[in-house]
Amino acid sequence: MNLTKLRDRVQPGEARVLLRNPVVLSLLVLLALFVSGNLVAPGFASYGSFVNTLRIAAFLGVIAAGQTIVILGGGEGIDLSVGKIATFSTVVVAQVSQGQDERLLLALLTALAYCGLIGLANGVGVAYLRIPPLVMTLGMVGVVTGIIRVYSGGQPEGRAPALLSQMVNATALGGVRGSVWIWLIVAAFTIWLLRRTTFGRRVYALGANREAAFLSGINVQRNLVLLYVASSLYAALGGVMLLGFAGAASINLADQYQLISIAAVVIGGTTLAGGVGGYLGTAVGAVVLQTMRNLLIVLDIPAAGRQVVNGVILIVLLSLYGRQRRLRQ
Amino acid sequence: MSAPERSSTSTLLDDARTWLLQGRLPVTTAIVLLLATLVVNLVVADNFLTAFNIRSIFANVIPLAAVAVGQTVIVLGRGIDLSLGVIATLSSVVTVSVVETRGLTAALLTGLATGAACGLVNGLLVAVVRLQPIVATFATSFVWSGLALYVLPPGTAAAPRMPDVVVQGYRGAFLGIPNAAWLLALIGASWLVLKRTRLLRHVYAVGGDEHAAFATGVRVGRVQVMTYVVGGTYAAFASFAMLANSGSADALAGGGLTLASIAALVIGGTRLSGGAGGAGGTIIGVLVLQLLTSVLVALRPPTDVRQLIDGLLVILALALAGLWAGRRRGR
Amino acid sequence: MAFLEMRGVDKRYGGVVALDDASLSAERGEVHGLLGANGSGKSSLNKILTGVVAPDRATIEVDGVATRIHRPQDAHHSGIAAVYQELSLIPDLSVAANIVLAFESTRLGFVQRRRDRDRAEALLERFAPAFHGGILPIQAPVGSLSPGEQQIVEIAKAIAREPDILVLDEATASLYSAQVEVVSAVVRELRAAGTLVVFTSHRLGEVYDLCDRATVLRNGAVAGSVALAETSEAELVELMVGSLGAPRRRPAAEREEAKKVQGVSGVPRLEVVDLSTDRLEQVSCRVAQGEVLGLGGLAGQGQSEFLNALFGAVRIRHGSVEVDGQAALTHRPKQAVDAGIALVPGDRNRQGLFPVRPILENLTVPSMRRRARLGVLSDAAERAAASRAGDQLQIKFGALDDGVMTLSGGNQQKVVVGKWLLTDPRVVLLDDPTKGIDVRAKAELYEVIGQLTERGVAVLLNSSDDDELLTLSHRVLVFFEGRIVSVLAGDDLTRERLVADSLQVTT
Repeated sequence: MNLTKLRDRVQPGEARVLLRNPVVLSLLVLLALFVSGNLVAPGFASYGSFVNTLRIAAFLGVIAAGQTIVILGGGEGIDLSVGKIATFSTVVVAQVSQGQDERLLLALLTALAYCGLIGLANGVGVAYLRIPPLVMTLGMVGVVTGIIRVYSGGQPEGRAPALLSQMVNATALGGVRGSVWIWLIVAAFTIWLLRRTTFGRRVYALGANREAAFLSGINVQRNLVLLYVASSLYAALGGVMLLGFAGAASINLADQYQLISIAAVVIGGTTLAGGVGGYLGTAVGAVVLQTMRNLLIVLDIPAAGRQVVNGVILIVLLSLYGRQRRLRQ
Repeated sequence: MSAPERSSTSTLLDDARTWLLQGRLPVTTAIVLLLATLVVNLVVADNFLTAFNIRSIFANVIPLAAVAVGQTVIVLGRGIDLSLGVIATLSSVVTVSVVETRGLTAALLTGLATGAACGLVNGLLVAVVRLQPIVATFATSFVWSGLALYVLPPGTAAAPRMPDVVVQGYRGAFLGIPNAAWLLALIGASWLVLKRTRLLRHVYAVGGDEHAAFATGVRVGRVQVMTYVVGGTYAAFASFAMLANSGSADALAGGGLTLASIAALVIGGTRLSGGAGGAGGTIIGVLVLQLLTSVLVALRPPTDVRQLIDGLLVILALALAGLWAGRRRGR
Repeated sequence: MAFLEMRGVDKRYGGVVALDDASLSAERGEVHGLLGANGSGKSSLNKILTGVVAPDRATIEVDGVATRIHRPQDAHHSGIAAVYQELSLIPDLSVAANIVLAFESTRLGFVQRRRDRDRAEALLERFAPAFHGGILPIQAPVGSLSPGEQQIVEIAKAIAREPDILVLDEATASLYSAQVEVVSAVVRELRAAGTLVVFTSHRLGEVYDLCDRATVLRNGAVAGSVALAETSEAELVELMVGSLGAPRRRPAAEREEAKKVQGVSGVPRLEVVDLSTDRLEQVSCRVAQGEVLGLGGLAGQGQSEFLNALFGAVRIRHGSVEVDGQAALTHRPKQAVDAGIALVPGDRNRQGLFPVRPILENLTVPSMRRRARLGVLSDAAERAAASRAGDQLQIKFGALDDGVMTLSGGNQQKVVVGKWLLTDPRVVLLDDPTKGIDVRAKAELYEVIGQLTERGVAVLLNSSDDDELLTLSHRVLVFFEGRIVSVLAGDDLTRERLVADSLQVTT
């Protein structure tokens, strides 16, 4: 055996290494938010409030899982249509199920199929037509908006089947809602997918060095398409969960998740260039964002201010995590 | 740095053909589309050739034309600004808020300054902080829209309005030609002037090959910042047109202009990856989009379908641009 | 004192010495050749002069004034302009616009198109015969010109700056003979006007035609500075190679081994017939099991292109590839991998590694399909496989989960090679595998190559190190401008023959 440890390698202090871990950083930020929130409004950091935060963060957490995969794949990969796709999913499920439990399964499959097709279109546009992902998915937002209008005739009908509402809203084991348990399953699956499957390896390879991935025998285009299909499926699932929570669909129920899904991914330590990061960070990032939102509401900042803060925070995050190299000579 | 992959035995004709196919729709396509949509309109819409209709078309087209020209300059330099539409919105609320207290000139100057300042921020984020243009401007769009909501919260009672003379002037005509048409010509003229500047020559260089430009001594960072400032300034002009058209500002409007501006410049033959194209084609693209909309209106499909078709058109334009670009790379 | 004096130039890349107390001395109004075989350091010396590479130590004096050149801008300020084979032109801008880029004539910020056009035309006029039909394509976009014409424009662009020193580094490589003549005429005009031209070319004919004197480098140091009129080609080759005792040959015993290997089985492991790409012309070869076929010739003559084409990374226009007698589709790397071909690419960082990923993944990704069950990987199996590869290559690392960039250059390269070993390849393509690697790691890589051949793997080796090429290869194909000009084997496999054939010199 010739595996020798590099003795002359400098070992950084344990603490410093930990601090560089984005997940740990996010957890610290979360702690800070709770503490400061509690100072402003006592009760902010209570168990009940925390559990409720998790309940709402679950939807973002699921949608952002797909976003994580797309961004990990590199090449300026991003999916701006996740919000709209989730909305579309709520409309489809509501309409197909008509509120009846027996039709829930059919409705779910239909939503997944339709949304998967949208993801396929995104993927084909990015991988084969070389349309920049941001432009492609942004354009898709418009298309899906139109599809929603046509599909629902402007007035989405139907309600969430009782079974779905139950699954999402029922509490179990310490007041934790169904949406959180679903999120937990999705999280476990996603982490396993990224770490223990050939697909996961390919995602990281594509993001780390697309050319090397190509030269390793990976079919770059086919895998790129899969990224966007995955993202749309996660968005669809997130939409279904949202429907269970809201009870009825509306024409823009999940649109807001477009930007914050990206923020969650970036906070979680996945670089926008791809190849580095993972879902665990995103999940923590989702909780951080939801807590931040709660804090802003508690601080009574008007909608306008919240918009600005959203944008500024994203810019700051990008500056820390997402900078490009300087022009070399 | 790339040299085209061609053998040295091809003829000059092959050279020209290769150049035409270089990753963008040639301007001829835009002109053909323009004529086609004109003809379709004439056929389908009974009241197309009325003075009112023509005036409306021009009046509606100015905001998009201005934003699209600004976007063209940015895209030529290999950048993109997803917040241009919102910069126009912000500029409009700022302008209208100032006009009643300080007069028209001051208002217009403030509006211009707003547009330029927003552009400057975008440019600095891209050139100095080195963020990707796409994501950086996407993030700033939220800041600008938030600021717009702050300056003029929707539902404000007694919202300020532009002076009547402005609104009437916009809808009026001079020498038989709608004023808005003159404005469109003015926008076109501004592009022709801009095109002859050294700045724009360098913008084309940076967009064509950033590294080669840098190696030759072009101040790439400075050029990039300037493109965003120019873009923001054009957005301010768009806001003036929006104000003149409706008389007041809406802090919630303007977002749609951004995507449409990208579609217009793609149709007009500007390459999304920079370095080739021009606002002349973009203006044609804007007209094409406007005429397409009026065709849709005349055909009176259900409003739901219209939005879908709008969205599909944008994707189609992007797909075509992508296909041409793919051909150039020889795949 | 000479117009240009470079003294005491040192440059190391990691553990490799590129320049060792090198020097260059040239006068105004002179065309000075800079010559040397692969690994001589001439390319580094050029790049130090033009500011692309910063030297470890150097004294540079231009016209008696000591100058520090650390960036291209410094070189520009000292009146030095460079033309490389890599162009710095903007494809969509016109020829005129490119020539005056960043130096446009302007008035109040507006470009004076006519004046620029006149300037460009005046400059290009001397090059007129080099263009199609003698017509100067001033307004045409540069991208529509042929590679040779583009190179001419690049040269014109450099001359536009009116430099005191013009460096032409393989600037004539893509020019055909008529164009070369035009450039030569211009160079002579420049010389008459007092410009110093530093000239590098792999075509000795051009060197003799243009240069008055030449500096020959060998192993990073100056081997000699000669007046070309008094030096024969053979003497030049000798200077480049050095008469270090007996010509280097492979030991007799090894040569016997080589002959044995050739006869092992009737079907060659790899057979390539008339392979042509944009830059290659009808390259054919046959490689037996366990044979090492070297790709020789000066750098950039198509060796790397050949390897990439075999792997499907470069578009093949014509030709066939067979592995073990079966036709192998190699339009995409995936197909090449399936056919049993592996490529260790020339640029380790850009093409061979996943820099932000751990060593484990870097070693296991290309072969993971073999171990996965329905797409699922077993952590234990992956780690075992990675350890196996690590052992085989004696890769020194802390833990499999460490980032691959924590490794030394030599160990990184071992990872690039190791990942392929796990795919059980039948043909291994090595594109300059030991460039920039320390001596110890090099030796270990040679061992690995030996192991591969013992297992019957056919190895194609491109190397910029002639000694390495000669030591490891059973035979060597010599490339020149995309064609094979000679095959060296047995007694012909000597340093002298290699360098001579690389320069197309008949001894």
